[in-house]
Amino acid sequence: MKCEHPSLYAALLVGVLVNVLLRSQTAYWCRAGAAAALVCAPVLALVGTLFAASWRQGATPLLRLLFAVLLAGTSVLELLRLWNLAQRLYPGAVMQLALCLLVLLPILYLRRVSAISQTAYVVLCLLCVATAGMLLSVFPRLRVANLQNIALTLPDFADAASDQLTLYPEYLLPALWPEPQKRGRHTLLRLAGAALGFDVAIHAVLELFYGAAMPLRADPLHAAARCGALSVFTRMEWLQLILWVMAVTVKLALYLYAMTRLLGGESRQENAAANLGSFCVYLLLMPTACLLLRGLDVDAALRWRSAFTWGFVILAWIGGAAAWLCRKIRRCS
Amino acid sequence: MQKPALCRALPKNLAVLQDRFGGSDDFYTKKLSVGGIACAIVLFTGISSPEKLCRLALDMLDRDPAFFGGGPGLCEYLLHQSLIPAEPQPASDLGEIGELLANGMSLLLIDGCEQAVVFSTQEMPQRSITTPSGEGNMRGSQEAFTELLRNNVSLLRRQFRSGTLVAEISTAHTRAKTEYCLCYDSALAPPETIAALRARLAQIELPVLLDSAYFASFLKQDKLNLFPAAAYTERPATACARLCEGKAVVLVAGSPYAMVVPSFFAEHFECLDDYASGAVFAGLIRLLKYLAFLLSVFGPGLYVMAVAFAPEIIPVQLLTKLAQAEAQTPLPPMLEMLAVTLLLEIVREAGLRAPQSISHTVSIVGALIIGETAVDAGIVSVPVLTMAAAATIATLAVPSLYEQSILFRFCVILLAGLFGVLGLTCAALMILAMACGSEPFGYDYLYPLMPPGKASVRDGFVRSIWSELAKAGEVIGRHEV
Repeated sequence: MKCEHPSLYAALLVGVLVNVLLRSQTAYWCRAGAAAALVCAPVLALVGTLFAASWRQGATPLLRLLFAVLLAGTSVLELLRLWNLAQRLYPGAVMQLALCLLVLLPILYLRRVSAISQTAYVVLCLLCVATAGMLLSVFPRLRVANLQNIALTLPDFADAASDQLTLYPEYLLPALWPEPQKRGRHTLLRLAGAALGFDVAIHAVLELFYGAAMPLRADPLHAAARCGALSVFTRMEWLQLILWVMAVTVKLALYLYAMTRLLGGESRQENAAANLGSFCVYLLLMPTACLLLRGLDVDAALRWRSAFTWGFVILAWIGGAAAWLCRKIRRCS
Repeated sequence: MQKPALCRALPKNLAVLQDRFGGSDDFYTKKLSVGGIACAIVLFTGISSPEKLCRLALDMLDRDPAFFGGGPGLCEYLLHQSLIPAEPQPASDLGEIGELLANGMSLLLIDGCEQAVVFSTQEMPQRSITTPSGEGNMRGSQEAFTELLRNNVSLLRRQFRSGTLVAEISTAHTRAKTEYCLCYDSALAPPETIAALRARLAQIELPVLLDSAYFASFLKQDKLNLFPAAAYTERPATACARLCEGKAVVLVAGSPYAMVVPSFFAEHFECLDDYASGAVFAGLIRLLKYLAFLLSVFGPGLYVMAVAFAPEIIPVQLLTKLAQAEAQTPLPPMLEMLAVTLLLEIVREAGLRAPQSISHTVSIVGALIIGETAVDAGIVSVPVLTMAAAATIATLAVPSLYEQSILFRFCVILLAGLFGVLGLTCAALMILAMACGSEPFGYDYLYPLMPPGKASVRDGFVRSIWSELAKAGEVIGRHEV
């Protein structure tokens, strides 16, 4: 009832689930993915935990700035990815500037952490209902015979692992929240488990649906959703767009909140809203950046983003370890 | 700076008061003698009764053979020795005297004494307790608050017969020195919430305070948020129920509406009848109200979006009819819907503000004549008119969210009409974020609806049976997460 310590788990979960939903191509066979997920989920959780530990050892202004740049860049990429998807599926339906503004405008009311938390719960519920509806409607078209029974090779597992080890900023964000013990235990493990579990489950559904043709399909989830005779998406395919936009908005709101914390310093009250002035700057900068980068290859950029994130994490680890060592040496001397 | 005060000389005091209030025709003074000591009574007629003063004090003084020993002796006698029910504190400051007179008190000025004895002789004209005019209920108490603060507090105390009910009366920082009363159950209300509310109310400075709603804007955390920070009721029974939930009720002198804080979104869909009727029926009605709210906000926008951007969602037969109707009108669906909705609002406002004798005529002219002629002339289509009318009626199912419904409806129509699906999404998300971002005194505005849990079905979207509800009453501040 009282939102003294609102949980951002739902927002983080929406943030990682939307990556699965907006995927333009499948990445692996579900058996390989399931096996890889058993290893990758704990690895991702461990990476996040170590990052949080090293961040608490002392985040330098440079690290803060890099993290903020990472979040701003990811926000632009998310907008571009959504626009690309909208262009592929609903060509000419919407201008880039309009899409950017319509996605970003609701963030005006999502500047407070409790608002993000509650809205994320609602969006998560809607996502669950829509996914269940989609599954039910395509259920008659799922064939067990479509499951690929060829022997999996090492490259198959490597492909799955490399896709699943994409490091999204959501795994790093819990490091910024104060008093993590009040936000439940094993947050990162649950988050990674849920994200990879959902990813593998969607791949399984798509494999049951498409069979061997799965890797060749572009926007496979959208195409599958439109197929079932009972599917509400056959006639109301815009429902998908609504859900995507909602999820991306929540994700961007979370990033904005994190950027505010990063650039405003740790002393900021946890539930303090992002400043209205900084929101206006954000509202101007994001569409401008999207406009400048409209010709960017988003898939390639997302891969670069993942590499940058890994590099940033390693830098944070080194910084954290150095700070810890310095402290130890000072204490000994 | 020293405040102007009474002096020992009665004529001088009377002259000062005459100078200050004498311009008012209802200012009443009368010189008299009590036990040989020159005195004067001063009061405002209409809110204070000289007859009551005579019955209360002067007759008794007349019969009392006591020897007073001068002005101060008489004052001392009235305050501490006699049976005459004078107020325990005398008045000496002219500012205070003005306030007391305006509150309907009578003052006895005594020659040779620097203090005036105060008598509570209020006799204000007042409206009798009637049934609520804007909060219909079939069962339960049919009493409504009135304009007098003390009456309202007594109505509340009559319903809430517990010693834990606290009624703190304070004077607001207004030019008219309006009184307000903060009521809460000291055993249930979270002390930090009450302290925060008390502090915020005390800080508010207003030129005039005519209703408890004037406070609401000051209690909002996010001024851009359109959802109300407080709920209002004119029923003491509803206020009593909210007190039992640990909430605070604010009454303002001169207003028959009590403000309830903190207020949650789900409360707008609840009414007393929900708890008097069966759980199944109450649950159904509550769900209908939620649907009505969604229809009132999104119905017209969804229609505009479907007709202009996504006709594939409309069944073919219906689509044919809609296309025929739209083909005969000159305006695009968005402008048509906006025009009709605006017109309906104008008709409603005119019906509400016009003198009662002609308000029915306004409604009939607006609804029937303008509506029918507009359709006949081909200015608006029948489906648009039907949808707008359905949305307007749906708004009335949740009257406490009327303002929000109207504002959101216009916003949805505009965005959906301009940007289609994305516009509708943007509007829906903004409304959702607004609801989620409301934090009345740090509480989740969407409690108990979100996050979904036992509480959502216990007394949220639907309500459980009484035996379940009675197990643990819903009290704010408990079960905090």
